[in-house]
Amino acid sequence: MREPLLEVRGLSKHYPGFSLEDVQFSLAPGRIMGLIGKNGAGKSTTLKAILNMVSPERGSVTMFGQDFYRNEKTCKARVGVVFGGIDFYPLQKLSAITAVTRRFYPDWDQAQYRRYLRQFDLEENKRFKALSNGMQVKYLLALALSHHAQLLILDEPTSGLDPVSREELLHLFRQLVRRENCAILFSTHITSDLDKCADDITYLHRGRVLASADRETFLRSFEHLKTPGETVPLSLEEIMLRTERRAWDEDAAL
Amino acid sequence: MKTLLYKELRLTAHPTSVVFAFLGCLVLVPAYPYSVIFLFGCLAPYITLVNARETNDLWYTATLPMTKRESVLSKCLLTATFQLFQLAFSVPFACLRAVLAVPNNPVGLDATAAWYGFGLMLYAVFDLVFLSSYFKSGYRVGRAFLLASVPMALGMAAVETAGHLPALAWLDSVRPADLGRQVPILLAGLFLYAALLALTYRICARRYETVDL
Repeated sequence: MREPLLEVRGLSKHYPGFSLEDVQFSLAPGRIMGLIGKNGAGKSTTLKAILNMVSPERGSVTMFGQDFYRNEKTCKARVGVVFGGIDFYPLQKLSAITAVTRRFYPDWDQAQYRRYLRQFDLEENKRFKALSNGMQVKYLLALALSHHAQLLILDEPTSGLDPVSREELLHLFRQLVRRENCAILFSTHITSDLDKCADDITYLHRGRVLASADRETFLRSFEHLKTPGETVPLSLEEIMLRTERRAWDEDAAL
Repeated sequence: MKTLLYKELRLTAHPTSVVFAFLGCLVLVPAYPYSVIFLFGCLAPYITLVNARETNDLWYTATLPMTKRESVLSKCLLTATFQLFQLAFSVPFACLRAVLAVPNNPVGLDATAAWYGFGLMLYAVFDLVFLSSYFKSGYRVGRAFLLASVPMALGMAAVETAGHLPALAWLDSVRPADLGRQVPILLAGLFLYAALLALTYRICARRYETVDL
């Protein structure tokens, strides 16, 4: 087993009405991990806590073998982060955002950046707000990939995208992992995306990790949700739906 | 540090804030309450932080290889750049006023060495209240400005009044003898500005460490 690029241990954070409890999982190089859970399950909070955007009360994050919170700058220089659905500097031209961003990365590869601009049909003289949701995600990905990030952390990158754009992104993820040997952690509630590309799945339910494993083990661990007579393996969507339904039933019984 | 400031000036600074930084030239106006120039120097970081909030600047910054402390440092640097540039930019205009022999400003204090010293003191207090209040949350910029406006307004009123008090007439004079008496005020302003800005940074950094984006 290769040394994990990312190891999250016992991450906890309490808010009024919501708690992230003892979240743990690890991600090896060359793997794509999907972080799933319904809205409000704690996916974004987990990613933000990993990146110190939210201060966790307990727990540790080891990235590239280093304590992330003590080596935040050096670790972040090797990470690419994309938050879908957030307008960054909407009135700025892409060229201005890039001019600033590249200065923060010693490994910035301008030729690679140009290649991704061409591949994604992005025009640098456009303003950020002039891009569609899909194009915004692609631009942020181009930035993340142009400094040879070894770990990509993506929050809902495919939400709000049409099926073609989603398919294109997922195809890109697979290519990246194969070509660059990086790892990708991405949160989503669109489980069909994970059917197409995830190697590992971590399922968050009410702020806790319900299961975290490679896809086959993960699917097997939910066999108890099958109804008598069901022979085909449950899809991720069915696993999520049946788990959440159980929770509703338990809440109703209380 | 250069990269942090470059980022702030290129992406975060609101164009209006940059215009305000050039309003040091108002010391050339024959009759004008020059303390208002300090108000522009406070509005510049306020408008820029409103802009930062609306453009998700702190979020984007958090994705870059920067710590939260550096995020605070970059905002402190930008604020100091606006204010110090504004005062430095006003100096040639204050000199031009003397060359053109423009009569004494009848509204309030002239742009004397004491006026610059008071300006630095006002900026120091404003920044301490404004930035440390803002970095409690990272988004409540209006509240921070209102809080910081109180000492700012009182200070502005005091500076303008000083020019009208016969016992403090030397503050409003550009005669060499009076300038000598004003230099300690300027030096005190410089010292206070540097010391309170360092304190502001420390308080803001400590507060922002615990802010959840």
